[in-house]
Amino acid sequence: MNFRTFAAFVGPSVFMMLLFIAFPLVSVFKQSFYVTQPLYESVEIETCTPGFLTQTCVTETVSQPQLDEEGKIITQTQFVGWESYRNVLEPERAWRAISDGNWNVLSTINFWKALRFTLTFTLITLPLVIVCGLGIAVMINNAAQAIRGPVIFISLLPFIITPVIGVLSVNWLFRGDGILTALLEWWLNRDIALFAQAWTIEILMMLYRVWHVAPFAAIVFYAGLQTVNQDSLESAVIDGATRWQRMKYIVIPHLMPLIIFVSMIHLMDSYRVFEEIVGFASQGYVISLQWLTYDFLVPDQAGNRSISRASASAMLTMIGIAILLIFPLRRTWRDHKGGH
Amino acid sequence: MSSRALRQPLSLRLTSNIFLTFWCLVAIFPIFWITVMSFKSPVDAFDSNALNVIFGPTTLSNGNGLSLLDIILGIAVIWGTIALVSKKMPAMIKAYSKEGQEWFGWVIGILAAAVGFLVVFFVILPAILSVLNPLFGPLGRDILGLTTEHYKTVWIDRGFSNNFKNSLIVTSGVVILSLSVGTLAGYGLARSGSNLAFWLLIVALIFRALPPSALVASYLPVFISSSEWLAPILGENAPTLYGKPFAVIAVLVAINQPFTIWMLRSFFQNIPAELDEAARVDGCNHFQAFRRVIMPVMWPGVITTGLFSFLLAYNDILVTSLLLDAQNQTMVPAIVGMFNRETTTTDQVVAVAAAVSITAPLIFLVLIFQRQIVSGLTAGAVKG
Amino acid sequence: MKLKTILMAGAMSFAAAAAWADCAYENEVPLKSLSAGFEAWKAVTDAMAECGNFSASLDQEFREKQPEAFAANPALYQIGGVANETMIPLLNAGSLRPLDDLVEKYGQDLLPNQLIKVDGKIMAIAMMVNAQHLMYRSDVLADLGIEEPKTYDDVLVAAAKIKEAGVMNYPIGGTFKTGWNLAQEFVNMYMGEGGEFFGEGNQPSINNEQGVKALETMKAMTEFMDPEYLVSDSTYVQQQFQQGKIAMANLWASRAAAMNDETESQVVGKVTMASAPMGAAAPSTTIWWDGVVLAANMSDEEADAAFRLVMEGMDGEMVSANNDVAVWLSPAYTPGDLAAGAAASAENGAKAYPASAPMGVLHSALGNGLADYLTGAKDAQTTLADIEAEYLTAAKEAGLINN
Repeated sequence: MNFRTFAAFVGPSVFMMLLFIAFPLVSVFKQSFYVTQPLYESVEIETCTPGFLTQTCVTETVSQPQLDEEGKIITQTQFVGWESYRNVLEPERAWRAISDGNWNVLSTINFWKALRFTLTFTLITLPLVIVCGLGIAVMINNAAQAIRGPVIFISLLPFIITPVIGVLSVNWLFRGDGILTALLEWWLNRDIALFAQAWTIEILMMLYRVWHVAPFAAIVFYAGLQTVNQDSLESAVIDGATRWQRMKYIVIPHLMPLIIFVSMIHLMDSYRVFEEIVGFASQGYVISLQWLTYDFLVPDQAGNRSISRASASAMLTMIGIAILLIFPLRRTWRDHKGGH
Repeated sequence: MSSRALRQPLSLRLTSNIFLTFWCLVAIFPIFWITVMSFKSPVDAFDSNALNVIFGPTTLSNGNGLSLLDIILGIAVIWGTIALVSKKMPAMIKAYSKEGQEWFGWVIGILAAAVGFLVVFFVILPAILSVLNPLFGPLGRDILGLTTEHYKTVWIDRGFSNNFKNSLIVTSGVVILSLSVGTLAGYGLARSGSNLAFWLLIVALIFRALPPSALVASYLPVFISSSEWLAPILGENAPTLYGKPFAVIAVLVAINQPFTIWMLRSFFQNIPAELDEAARVDGCNHFQAFRRVIMPVMWPGVITTGLFSFLLAYNDILVTSLLLDAQNQTMVPAIVGMFNRETTTTDQVVAVAAAVSITAPLIFLVLIFQRQIVSGLTAGAVKG
Repeated sequence: MKLKTILMAGAMSFAAAAAWADCAYENEVPLKSLSAGFEAWKAVTDAMAECGNFSASLDQEFREKQPEAFAANPALYQIGGVANETMIPLLNAGSLRPLDDLVEKYGQDLLPNQLIKVDGKIMAIAMMVNAQHLMYRSDVLADLGIEEPKTYDDVLVAAAKIKEAGVMNYPIGGTFKTGWNLAQEFVNMYMGEGGEFFGEGNQPSINNEQGVKALETMKAMTEFMDPEYLVSDSTYVQQQFQQGKIAMANLWASRAAAMNDETESQVVGKVTMASAPMGAAAPSTTIWWDGVVLAANMSDEEADAAFRLVMEGMDGEMVSANNDVAVWLSPAYTPGDLAAGAAASAENGAKAYPASAPMGVLHSALGNGLADYLTGAKDAQTTLADIEAEYLTAAKEAGLINN
């Protein structure tokens, strides 16, 4: 395929990605090194606001942005270098905490707190998703032909359900005296508050994520199991291989590309864990990197937002994912080269 | 296909089936539970006693309930419908529709079945039951609290059907555009061994890794002021992109492109290159080869990829909540809005009913396309 | 097909007939509004929609959209719903239209109290006020012979008695959800203690005695709260009240009506509204208002129509129809028992929320930083110092503090 044909085929797709992803990405990258802020001036102003029955008027000095002739806010943009990254990472504080060996202090610094949780979350759910997915796939494959259809259908439900709704429904089941918590309390005969400490919330989040993603892994693996070479399985049986050995030496290697595919998708998605934080309202205990970016970005009541720090934090998240993806990607490169 | 040598001992099959049953319970329980909640009065729905939620004593005492007879007949009608649709309908459709136009027969058949079911279930059945219930004594007494008022509130008072229509527009737009752009790119990438193709894929992957909230926030000011900065190019007709479904469709398609082209590329890689090479020997160029040879065999992979696009668009909240105004708002942000609004418990149950309502189309979709999803994945849409 | 057309036509004509049923005139200028989505806004925008040609966006993302949409020329929305704090960005960007001429023309029915004036010009029309105040179960407290709590010490003593008597495990409820709610609780306490948030040049000044006192009171309260307090928002506290699980809470006046809602509350008539508990200087609460603003970037004709529509939406008819939904600012409003708490707090000298650009930054910093103290990760001084540091970083980035 020559270059022009290739370009014609991928052109529309590349154009859309350039316009809506690459272009904003460049601006995010740029913003992480610049700070844009309005020029404030101090003015004395009388403000009257309603009380319950009467009005209260106060005169005070407030900071107000200056406006130009057209009535737009005058802003100035400054190159600040790595300052926003420093403000996100807080290296001095982190370093002091590390050199004191004081991990508790380190875990109260936002970025490191978020990184700690994000990594734990990603690295614990990854094997769980793979193992559960594989287990479900093998079990479905074992089941009688007649029930496979309904079982696959039920298994897919947690995957297709809208994430926000999924989180909320899990939230209701466990929050306060939600029925599952009530059940646990009745069973263990003690008072349980699952949303009152970090570790229970973390476990709930991970369980939710596995519940949500394992079906995807399962269906992909199940599809892979349909193409396992039956002849080699049978000859393995004749050679006296146990069930476990057949699984290990024939089925798993056959599924390996799929396992890598699922891992890659899962790494990317779980490193950007966000819905769980918002849905479980866990900010008081655990936060994630994506939540941190979001928090910088969302304007406060008075409309201020930390665009520069949000950009820096978004760039850091991307770098983190890129590092995690190097391992699975090396293989894709080999395949790509080998395939032609 | 499974030979005697691979047959498993009973104990293993038993354990495996028990675990499978357990998994099915875990998978379905939260969804089942919110469905139950959505039919109860607020007091029952948030009760900490599971039995109260299921049987709904308060709902019952408000006069909304089902008797044993209601339940039996209701189940009979549902079961009858399913039996009719799955057993009789295919044959009837074959018999009545013209050759090659069976899909049209299916559409008519399904519509007729749906309308028939709704009429029987919600009009005829209640009429019959209101006569029968008093005659059957204890069998006819209400035992299960159940009310559909929350669904009425959602769909009629809150105008949720407008959100539904918007979701339909956005979702179908995303699926169609994303697939047409994506299949071309996926095919191009699969058939090109150049380094450029590889790096394009890697860059796409990195794009996918970008936190979407950072991207979306940078769209907002540009979209809102678009009529000002587009004016020099388009003049008077320059549109305000904010609030327009087509702008949101474009954004969602772009965000979804990396995943789509990765999926479709590996799918096309598993279609032997000899096929289109043979076509090109016969004098076709790449596009003709794509149209004549590849398009007929690509549907399993396209349907699978399409389902993922559908899920992304249908479930999206970040892009739609920020870039659409209330008149064009889709369902998921509307529901989250209901939850976040200063709410009463009644409002929350109404929102639960809305949440169940938006899950229903997803369930239908999987019911219909389940076989294609598996075969699409089997055919190699995911070879890594 | 025919049947459907007929039905549609019927529905349309019915809707059209209903649309102008209750409006004094017919609005002919197409208008749009953007506001928060709570009940009072729904009531007002529904009343406005009766005049036709109007569509309302009750949007939870309104904070993010409003500044951009009002700065556009022409503005994407003519009418905006704001509160004390959310008016600031619009005001600062000069996106608001002064309303003096329109008030003169159409505002005969407005109370002087409703006119929000900045620098002598009317910039917004307030429609309601809201404040957190004490709600308590009069039956539970009376059974145990406890007087109405006046201060947080009283609240804590009462809570201890209720717990000891075995009536409730967790007698106190609180909107302590991490983020905006938690910060709001601190602001209430700190204002009650008479603290000042800022020194010269927007420098923060919360790391002081009053700040520590506020934190300690909050921590003392959590001893009597459901341990999941860091995830409980107003709706949750309201639900706990309705289910009879808590006996006291400092809750929003707009939530009072829910206590007597027969369909969902099990404590109808048993909850009394009282003044917010007193701190050393004032009641531990802040007064908020919600109101309407008009965009600057629109024609005079549109502004005229928009203001007329707003007046129609806020008229006495709407207020009497939705009397208990909020504490309305209107001559037609009859304050009942449910508004007694807000009134008593105001009488005791409750202050307005000190809305300003730096306060927005500080509120966010508080919301993210306070949980560390309540979970025991940091002591009070460190918590406040860290919040000040976080505020400084954010305020510098926003340009509010010169380096």
